[in-house]
Amino acid sequence: MLNRRTFIKRTATGSALFALGGFPFESFASSKPIKLTLLHTNDVHSRLEPFAMDGSKYEGQGGVAARAALIAQIRSEEEHVLLLDAGDIFQGTPYFNLYKGEPEMKAMSMMRYDAVTMGNHDFDAGVDGFANQLIHANFPVLVANYEFSGTALEGKTKPYTIIKKGGLKIGLFGLGIQLKGLVPDESYGKTIYIEPIQIARSISEKLKKQEHCDFVICLSHLGYEYNYNKVSDLILAKETEHIDLIIGGHTHTFLDEPKVIRNKKGKEVLINQVGWAGLRLGRLDFIFDDKKSSNLLQTQSVIISKQTN
Amino acid sequence: MKSLFAKLLLIALFFASCHHPLVLQQKTHQLYTINNTGKLDSNLVKMLAPYKVGVDTQMNVVIGHTDIPLTKAQPESTLGNFMADAQLIAAQKLDRKVVASFVNYGGIRINYIAPGVLTRGKMFELMPFDNTVTILEVSGELLKRLCNHIAKGKGWPVAGITFKIKDKEAQDILLNGRPINDNVIYKITLSDYLARGGDNCDFFELLKKRYTSIFLRDALIEYVQQLELQHLPLHPNLEKRIEYVE
Repeated sequence: MLNRRTFIKRTATGSALFALGGFPFESFASSKPIKLTLLHTNDVHSRLEPFAMDGSKYEGQGGVAARAALIAQIRSEEEHVLLLDAGDIFQGTPYFNLYKGEPEMKAMSMMRYDAVTMGNHDFDAGVDGFANQLIHANFPVLVANYEFSGTALEGKTKPYTIIKKGGLKIGLFGLGIQLKGLVPDESYGKTIYIEPIQIARSISEKLKKQEHCDFVICLSHLGYEYNYNKVSDLILAKETEHIDLIIGGHTHTFLDEPKVIRNKKGKEVLINQVGWAGLRLGRLDFIFDDKKSSNLLQTQSVIISKQTN
Repeated sequence: MKSLFAKLLLIALFFASCHHPLVLQQKTHQLYTINNTGKLDSNLVKMLAPYKVGVDTQMNVVIGHTDIPLTKAQPESTLGNFMADAQLIAAQKLDRKVVASFVNYGGIRINYIAPGVLTRGKMFELMPFDNTVTILEVSGELLKRLCNHIAKGKGWPVAGITFKIKDKEAQDILLNGRPINDNVIYKITLSDYLARGGDNCDFFELLKKRYTSIFLRDALIEYVQQLELQHLPLHPNLEKRIEYVE
């Protein structure tokens, strides 16, 4: 029988090991591949309920209750699930006008989102308005290129985070769009926007090289593509070296499959975006193992697309 | 015992510091459409219920009706004309000299309204922002610049003004049927969002502006209610206010 003292010691050792990234022996013998299931949304715009059955294009589609049930179903089937959102959580239905984002944040917390970034419409109740709703959020808000010093969001967002799933180390960071001209000056207040490319380069390099992340994801609200000179996800993918996946938003782009782009080093970057309003849930499954080289580096990857209704 | 703990900790630190690198080998993609044929999460339904009661009570109020499907499109659309007309009438109530109305295309926030009753909630979906009706004094020259900006953007909802778009430029601009005089100052209406330079309308910066406390959304509601009082449906016509030409 354990006496109390020994028990505490053993537990302490155990939790020390755990705190340092799980039992090391696991990754020792990791010939077993790890599957990461990534689920994502963007530009949900306060669409808590499905579209009304009124003959409109999206009638009956969307809604948090149906999305949550689907996510729960996937969680029951997959061990390592990551759930992400690329911003514009707020604004678009009377729920936001009346409750200022409270049910949106509660719903996302209940669905266990792992991380989100901020969209321009997340400033629609001011910096203070977004900051006020964070008490209902149990997930981090990642944004690396907004400087919030002297605002209500100071210290309440993070540029990046690292999430461990199995033996896998995933680096995530967020990028927001230029606010001037898009968001009323008084709504973003003292928030400073910083050009995203350079920041993306340094953070993704840090995540890959210093933090040794196996996979780097950018949550971007920059927008997929523009027909004029403006930084977008396509440009971000081409101009950086260490991003593996961009989960995009803002342009409400319905990509039926992820776009594959070659980055500065010729490596593949995936970009995905699933329209808006919570009409769709994107899913990407990645299989990792500890073999030295990846067969994805040499060849154009084959993306298996499945449309599920 | 103490040293064993220390050893274990050291071993743990060693393995933690050298993260075992993993390499991506395979990726697959899947897309789910969220629809109403599947299951619902009862916890989410429960969480939402009290909010839904509040929304339904305030928003399911019928304010009028439309006899045609209303849609969003460029260069001109029924939803767009409705918004530009409602804004013009609201502004003209404050100042009869307002001659034209402009709404940014991105300010139409839903794509479709079915024929039938119009609720207060539908107007909130169409214009969820608390944008206010604003009156601006612009020279004819600047008005042309605004039209060219709109032409570049492939056409926005307008009222009181017509023009054609050719090669991303505005041509044959007519204000209530008459050409614009570069040196005349005109009064126009648009949202405070645009007046403050939104949607890249930075050319309004130095102009004389009259901000009002009238929400564009309330102007829409008022417009529909006025029609309903006269037993008329909302029936915006397509009139080639803006058209593309070769």
